[in-house]
Order: sequence, then structure tokens, then C-alpha cells
Amino acid sequence: MSEDSLRNDILKEIFNISVGKAAGLLSEIINRTIILTVPQVDVLNINEEIQLEDYLPKVTDGALMVSSISFHDILKGKANLIFPAHKMRTFINLCMNENNENDDTTFTDIDYDIIKEIGNIILNSIVGEVGNFLDIRLDYSLPEVKVFTQLNLKKNLENKEYPHILILYITFIIDETEIEGVILVNLTLNSLNELMKNLDRIEKKLYE
Amino acid sequence: MKILVVDDSVFSQKITCNLMKGLLTDTEFIVAGDGEEGLEKYKAIQPDYLFVDLLMPKIDGKELIRLVKEIDSTAKIIVISADVQKNVREELEKADILAFINKPLNEDKAKLISALIKGE
Repeated sequence: MSEDSLRNDILKEIFNISVGKAAGLLSEIINRTIILTVPQVDVLNINEEIQLEDYLPKVTDGALMVSSISFHDILKGKANLIFPAHKMRTFINLCMNENNENDDTTFTDIDYDIIKEIGNIILNSIVGEVGNFLDIRLDYSLPEVKVFTQLNLKKNLENKEYPHILILYITFIIDETEIEGVILVNLTLNSLNELMKNLDRIEKKLYE
Repeated sequence: MKILVVDDSVFSQKITCNLMKGLLTDTEFIVAGDGEEGLEKYKAIQPDYLFVDLLMPKIDGKELIRLVKEIDSTAKIIVISADVQKNVREELEKADILAFINKPLNEDKAKLISALIKGE
């Protein structure tokens, strides 16, 4: 296995473990089993000529619900959980124990509160697990939730301060409904280097 | 003794083998990268123990356990998975597995598995 693909394998497995933990917590909230799919990971540099929307398959129709937390210290960046707004409605209905077919994408304050909590659980699991694996302590900001159009989201994510983006595709299947989401982690160049350095350290230890 | 480790992550395969090698001497570890390969290797080598991840391409862990139990209902299976859901664990425990261990595997969890295998 090449150095790059083993790094990707390590990163994917760290995300896999963290998504599993997040799903465990969410499963307790909605009292249902969540079927997970094998996650996929990509690393992008927005200074290269890439079309960010190409990396957001199936979540680009209609409004997008974005929960974000920023983190700093040794790693500095912003983690964003992106779900199509109408899929988020399914999650909210399940959390509220409402079995209606309502897919209204007008959200109340209570809805936002639930979305913030779901985002908080998933993003904290992911960022926290990365921190645990790399043995790095990370401080986070409070989560924020915003609704974006595809274009606005693209502008928002293409942040020059954080030119590197880790993309993780996740799918939760609940009661046969597929909820496909994307987690984008914006990182500074130093942070990406630090992350890679730590992955190399883990890799080296495997062969000691 | 032979242990077949089925996991789609090379990283996890190595962690499992490295930790268990330190605790179980005279043991040969064989790895497979997905459920399909796992089933083929299971049939070919008939290991004493099968360590299996759940979330895998081709044939997932749950299906692999079902297929292996069809071949050998007494197969000794230990699940090592990132899935921490209570319902998933309960469902698998009904499939007569030896243990369900949550990833990441560490020294303490590896010692538990070792004690289980040694019958301590």
C-alpha cells in the first residue's frame, strides 16, 4: 500500500469510528437503528482549480442546512455538517417522534435547536475522535446553524484563510430513508501539515 | 492457532494484529479486506477464530457472520466494530458471537479478547 493510500486509510478509519459513535448517540435519541454506509474521504486544495460543487453530490438540490463548529490550538479550522434541508426535516420528525410525512423546509426555533444538537453530536464526535487519535487537545466554538443556497454555501466554504478541505461523505439510513450528508473540514495549511505529520507518526508506529 | 481478521481498513487490520500478537503466542494472523475475501479465506483456512468488522464493502460483517455460521454453526466469532448502537449489538449477540468489541481496539480491549480465547 502506498504512503498516500495508507494515510487515507487511517483517516477514513478515524472518521469511520467517529461516525459510528455519533450514530450510536443519535440512535438513542430517535430510538431506531441507524444503518451506516462505508464512508469516503477526499482532501482538496481550493487554490487549485477545483469545482467545489463537484464534490457535493446529491446534496446540492434546494436549500442546504449547515451546522458548523470552529476549532483552534494545534489544529485550526472549521468543521461543517451539510445535509439537504428536506432530509434534515426527516431527522427532526424522528427526534420529535412525529411520524408525519411533513417535509416542510420552513424551520421553527425548536427545529433549529434540534439541528444544532444533531450537528453538535456529529461534529464533536468527529473532531473529538480526530483529536483523540492524534493526541491533540482541541478547543471548539459553540455550534452555529445556517441555511444556504448552493451558491452561497460555495462562497462561504471557499475561505482563503482555510485553503484545505477534508471532505467526508456520510449516509445514515433510517427506516429505509437515506439521509446523505457531507462533512467539510476547512483547515489552514499549517493544520493540514500538522495533521499529515501526525498521520505519518501513526503509520510509522504500525511498523515498529 | 489461526485467526482470520476481516476489516476493510489496513490500519485497523494492523492495529488488531499488532496488539493481539503481543498477547497470543504461536498464533498465525491472516487478513482479508472485505467480507467476500473474508468468506473465501474462511473456507480455505478454517481459522480457529474470526475477527470481523461490520461496515465493509461487498459482503458486510453481519452477512459474513450469517454465511460463516451456515458453514460452521460453532464458528468462534468476535466482532470489532465502530458501530456503538445498542440495537446492533443486541441483534448480533443473537447470532451467537463470542464478543462485540468497539473500535478503536486498544491494549485493554485486546487483553479482554486474549483472556476470552485463553478461557481465563
